[in-house]
Amino acid sequence: MGMSGGKGPSSRVTMSEINVTPLVDVMLVLLIIFMVTAPLIQQGVKVNLPEAKAAPVQSEEKKLVLSVDRYKRVFIGDAEVALAELEEKLKTNAKAQTDKEVYLHADRDLPYGIVVEVMAATQRAGIDNVGMITDPFTSLKRAKANK
Amino acid sequence: MNRTLVLSALLLPAVGLSQAAVIEISGANFRPMPLAVASPAAQDPKAAAQSGEFDQALLYDFTACGLFQVLDRKSFLADTKEGVTASSINFASWSNVGAEALVKAQLASDGESIRGDLRLFTVATGREDLKTSESAPADQVRRLAHRLANAVYKHLTRETGPFESHLAWVKKTSQGKDVYRSDWDGRGATLLASGGFNVLPALAPDGASAAFTSFRRGKPEIFLHRGGSSTPVVHAGRMATGVAFSPDGRRIAYSQADGESAQIWVAQVDGSNPRQVTNTPFFINSSPTWSPDGRRLAFVSNRGGSPQLYLQSADGSGEAKRLTFQGNYNQTPDWSPRADLIAFTARDERNAFDLFTVNVETGKVNRLTQDQGNNEEPSFSPNGRLIVFTSTRNGWPQLFVMMFDGNNQSPLPMERGSHTTPDWGP
Repeated sequence: MGMSGGKGPSSRVTMSEINVTPLVDVMLVLLIIFMVTAPLIQQGVKVNLPEAKAAPVQSEEKKLVLSVDRYKRVFIGDAEVALAELEEKLKTNAKAQTDKEVYLHADRDLPYGIVVEVMAATQRAGIDNVGMITDPFTSLKRAKANK
Repeated sequence: MNRTLVLSALLLPAVGLSQAAVIEISGANFRPMPLAVASPAAQDPKAAAQSGEFDQALLYDFTACGLFQVLDRKSFLADTKEGVTASSINFASWSNVGAEALVKAQLASDGESIRGDLRLFTVATGREDLKTSESAPADQVRRLAHRLANAVYKHLTRETGPFESHLAWVKKTSQGKDVYRSDWDGRGATLLASGGFNVLPALAPDGASAAFTSFRRGKPEIFLHRGGSSTPVVHAGRMATGVAFSPDGRRIAYSQADGESAQIWVAQVDGSNPRQVTNTPFFINSSPTWSPDGRRLAFVSNRGGSPQLYLQSADGSGEAKRLTFQGNYNQTPDWSPRADLIAFTARDERNAFDLFTVNVETGKVNRLTQDQGNNEEPSFSPNGRLIVFTSTRNGWPQLFVMMFDGNNQSPLPMERGSHTTPDWGP
């Protein structure tokens, strides 16, 4: 997936913007990301979920849920783990390694960076499928209100 | 007979049954049960000092027996100070590491003896399935762990676990070869025979006595070790080797060489009343092993041109029946206490020795080891679920244990040394 680079006469001009291509490549090529709707997931950790109109993924089994709350605390289930330990915790976790899939339950107001860090740790732990948990009801309400 | 163990999942809802699920013998659906073993809690400083050794033995038992996928503690999410009763356990945090069953143990010591309490929980339901307590002298904390592990094994399989059974094996020294008896994990070894070459040990079904072949008086003879001393019981012929106890412990089978041939003989344990079983002049018959009902013997014979396994009734009546037809070098048979299989060593086309089983009824051969050094001298556990053997895969002769189908191979946690020819007994 190429980003628009400088082409033609302007190619010698110094680029002042950060090239995000490698980051986006790594995240999107190696991770399979999908949306999961919140009612499927009952979690102990309270987070404000992002809203998204996304086709809900039906999940028959309970997958491991990673949560990041608004204070940037990371949880596996309801157990808090340091972000630095997350990779090892997931690498040794028999459930995550069997499923090769986790759900990410992150607060909507978090900086993008922390979410990417969690996703990167997940991917380094060999888990390629990350379900992004979103809140369908708020977005449905808003969609109706806009009409 | 079905030969594969299956865990009927603890997750299955109990349908009108109060008993926990049983790990059953079934078809190809076997899946080791994901088991979390929490670090043992110590109730006093003396117990704390021994909890490491206890923990090591308990983890080894659960790991090596092949029934469980013992989960990596690095993944654990539960509070390390979590209690041992169902009400104090956060089962979601155990479910989140993939555990289906959870073992919690706590130790208490008064200096003289050490007591261990073990509880087994079904994670999905949060139910306590087993609560058991055992005591042992304070210096035998590994034995305590083996007893508690056996209680779990019995609870889940309805079978006697292997963790309190014993091995006999040979250790090479600078002077010769010594025979030892040890726990099932190779630890707690006691010397049975030393001085010169002492080889091919066999543990008696009574669990106390043993027999072996010794060169200490010049030619190979069979010695019986009982009550702390060894006495020669078979010294006839040019040499006598490879003793095996009958399942009732009253007779021994062995190979006795006269001239150029060697025949299988059966005698009373003290060597009296010897009777010849095979009669093939010019050929060698060796390495007898008893059927669990004590009526037949399997042994190695070169009467067909190459060493192959044969069956014959233990009283010598009838014709010998050839059991193996593949390969040109099959030896060291050991008959499973479950009767259906005989494990043996075979030399393959690349001159490597590997382990196989042959079904006594159907003759079907199953390969257990491959491309991992030489693997020889199999011996079944008393419950027939495991096989101990010698492997050179790490560069020196080492005792290994695996499931009867070749799964879950692991070295015994012994100090480094040249250990060979294990025999598994009660």
